[in-house]
Amino acid sequence: MELWNDMKLQINQQTYDVDVAEDTPLLWVIRDNLGLTGTKYGCGLAQCGACSVLVDGEVVRSCVMPAVSAVGKQITTIEAIEQDDVGKRVVQAWVNHQVPQCGYCQSGQVMAATALLKATPNPSRDEITAAISNLCRCGTYNAIDAAIDELAKPVGGNA
Amino acid sequence: MKKLTLSMLVIIVLVAVGAWYSTRIPSTPLADVNSSELNASELIAKGEYVARASDCVACHTLPDSPAFSGGLEMATPIGSIYSTNITPDKTHGIGHYTLADFERVVRQGVAPDGHRLYPAMPFPSYAKLSDDDVKALYAYFMHGVQPSDKPNKQSEIPWPLNMRWPLAFWSGLFTDSGSYQSNTEQDEQWNRGAYLVQGAGHCGSCHTPRGLAMQEKALDESSPQFLAGALLDGWYAPSLRNDVNTGIGRWSEEDVYQFLKNGRNQHAVVYGSMTDAYNNSTQFMSDEDLYAMAHYLKSLPGDPLRDGEPWQHKPTTVTASMAAQDAAAKTYLARCSSCHGTDGMGRGQYIPPLAGATSMLAKEDASAINVTLNGSGRIVSHGVPDAYRMPPFRQQLSDKEIAEVLSFIRTTWGNHGGAVKVQDVTELREKTDPASSQVIILQMR
Repeated sequence: MELWNDMKLQINQQTYDVDVAEDTPLLWVIRDNLGLTGTKYGCGLAQCGACSVLVDGEVVRSCVMPAVSAVGKQITTIEAIEQDDVGKRVVQAWVNHQVPQCGYCQSGQVMAATALLKATPNPSRDEITAAISNLCRCGTYNAIDAAIDELAKPVGGNA
Repeated sequence: MKKLTLSMLVIIVLVAVGAWYSTRIPSTPLADVNSSELNASELIAKGEYVARASDCVACHTLPDSPAFSGGLEMATPIGSIYSTNITPDKTHGIGHYTLADFERVVRQGVAPDGHRLYPAMPFPSYAKLSDDDVKALYAYFMHGVQPSDKPNKQSEIPWPLNMRWPLAFWSGLFTDSGSYQSNTEQDEQWNRGAYLVQGAGHCGSCHTPRGLAMQEKALDESSPQFLAGALLDGWYAPSLRNDVNTGIGRWSEEDVYQFLKNGRNQHAVVYGSMTDAYNNSTQFMSDEDLYAMAHYLKSLPGDPLRDGEPWQHKPTTVTASMAAQDAAAKTYLARCSSCHGTDGMGRGQYIPPLAGATSMLAKEDASAINVTLNGSGRIVSHGVPDAYRMPPFRQQLSDKEIAEVLSFIRTTWGNHGGAVKVQDVTELREKTDPASSQVIILQMR
């Protein structure tokens, strides 16, 4: 496999130079090469969503994204999510609703919720269900729904 | 009375000629070569390469068994047959074969005792191997392979269907005799590619449609049926001709080379039985040979009538609001989009696009259903297992959900493969379940 010496990745507004094979999953680069361990490894098959990060504002399961596909794009991980206005509100709602139990999937859940609210500021219940397919072994789904519901209400509205 | 005697005589002569024809041991052009002298190390090494190109391992080696010791079960509607031990063991293998014996088995499908091989052994393709390659292959199997004393398994086909002599007539009708003859109108690279594709590579075993007698409808480019795509064993082996939708019409020679060398390119990744062909065969071939195969395949014209309207990409992004309205889009977003993208474009050569994929354009939907139910096999490229693999959705999605999401994929992004029936998913689920009574065991390789 070809080595990309000096692959440049833009993560959380910083440029990192990494030396990895081009098909290395982005998740390994984030966790192993760069030590940003807030993003979690769950299933490795894009099934659970624990490894979700934002790439150019869209939620991506980083375990199945070859690092080379992320070159030239803006990557955001849970470490920097509060620097984003929407992300900050999501984290606050998560705290308000005391969503996490064990917490392992929660960084991924926060990323998925943030991406949804960025694309669709006032999502309907169906849109929330369709967009958030992340798994949670503790079963915090009701709390997640409550937190997103709070954010989904139009500002100043009483829907 | 005279009439009766005459017709009796004619019948007796016909039967006698038929009996002679179907039980004779055919002649071989290599009868005069001294078998014991074929042991030079360069010849053995060349033979190993021919064995790779011919993918002998695919059928003659089981996982966790000695190499080439046979035993692969191939189910047929009339009972199972088993591949044989082709190690140089004198009792259970082919150690007692002379070169002449070996030539007859490989190129003509006739064993030393005169019995005919089932064409599960692709001898109609191997017939095209050159004398030199047969000699090299013989040297490799005699001196480059470890003998194994694993006994052969008896075929389970009952009498009278187990009689082999009728296969002589099958061979007479459906095989061409003589090794590959160069086409003088074409250059050396084209001829090398044709030799490898038609002969050792036996690409037609899967990719050429078969007739009523299970014969490949064509064995070379003289017919537009050659490598025109075929449905078998629960997979659709796509066309290898320049068909825009169902073939390699949109691929460059470089793309074909990449596919055979790395198991992947920007258009597709190997799956189904092609994974075995890649893992055991094509990746070990020289760049020169792979480029020759690519060059030859790209010379085969497509057939717009069979292939249909050329695919035109219609970019679409699957969004949460689409998914909120439509169950199929919702399944796509939750189960498929993380890898194949909300735009269906995949991720370069690592995750194949669904937009414009052969399996989503062909009217045969077996491959699309099969790979969704059962995932793709492990691709081991130059010793390294793949990082990205299609997972099986057998346990996670119902027949209805699979039919819906595949119908969605096969009608989005300009794809025009058409809808998938729930019934077809149910059937393939049953046939690919190892615990089922009607499982497909034979994977033609």
